[in-house]
Amino acid sequence: MANDTALLDSFGTISEAQLAELGWTLKPEGLCQDDTCVLIPDRGALVSNDGLGLAVLGDLLDRPVAIDTEAGLAAIGVPRVARRQALDDLVAPDFTLPNLTGGGVTSLSDHRSKKRLLIAFSSW
Amino acid sequence: MVVDAHHVVTELYAISNVPTVVLVNEDDTIAMPNWSAYGSDLFSEFTGVESGKQHDRIRRWVREGDAGMSTGEAIGVVGDLSSEEEAARLHFRLALALRDRGDQAGCDRNFDRAAELAPEDWTIRRAMMPLRGQDPFGENFMALYEDWKAKGSPYHGVRGY
Repeated sequence: MANDTALLDSFGTISEAQLAELGWTLKPEGLCQDDTCVLIPDRGALVSNDGLGLAVLGDLLDRPVAIDTEAGLAAIGVPRVARRQALDDLVAPDFTLPNLTGGGVTSLSDHRSKKRLLIAFSSW
Repeated sequence: MVVDAHHVVTELYAISNVPTVVLVNEDDTIAMPNWSAYGSDLFSEFTGVESGKQHDRIRRWVREGDAGMSTGEAIGVVGDLSSEEEAARLHFRLALALRDRGDQAGCDRNFDRAAELAPEDWTIRRAMMPLRGQDPFGENFMALYEDWKAKGSPYHGVRGY
């Protein structure tokens, strides 16, 4: 989903199969998702014999990336554009999260056309 | 009620403390961005916030569509996350994943990094306390609270509502 985060086994690069897990495909015209493609100004900076560089990929997709090279694990954050739309355009980003009880998931958009009181809290 | 183990919503909405409330209109527009609102006066002595006035504001929004903040006031009133605060959220997730894998050293390494990157963010600092065997109402929390107050109570949200 568009606003998902991701955790990937990686020491700094990922395979095209892992890229596909993120919903993107490397094509001659760029990084593509459905009908949308992001141009790659310097393909050599992104693609090497080891795979696709995560830091460059994060920059291209405007998503933050953190890599724990000791553990071989990387985290990719949500697209920054979603948060900018919330802060600057007042458009509530959609999200999907597991329900506390009963199984399944709930999305903010499940309740579209209704007023929604979004409360973020912790039980500590 | 949903569970946000990886704090996705804090990243999407630039939330840095809880409780944080967002009022979302029928058309997905935000009527009131990140707002420190309370369900009761249980902590009012601590927070200085009267929940009853906040509940009245919410009722007015539901009944009349008036959240008490104009669109012009709401745009940009919540500051964006810094790159360090963004990265802290990612290291928090890495810590959780490594904890689940039994890599305690990796977990600690990433929790430490997250705390360094976002020292005033309660969704990072306080949230990791119970996960590290610390009391979220204990000495570590009070030290965090005093430090946060001394720095002007930084918060990604509206004030005075």
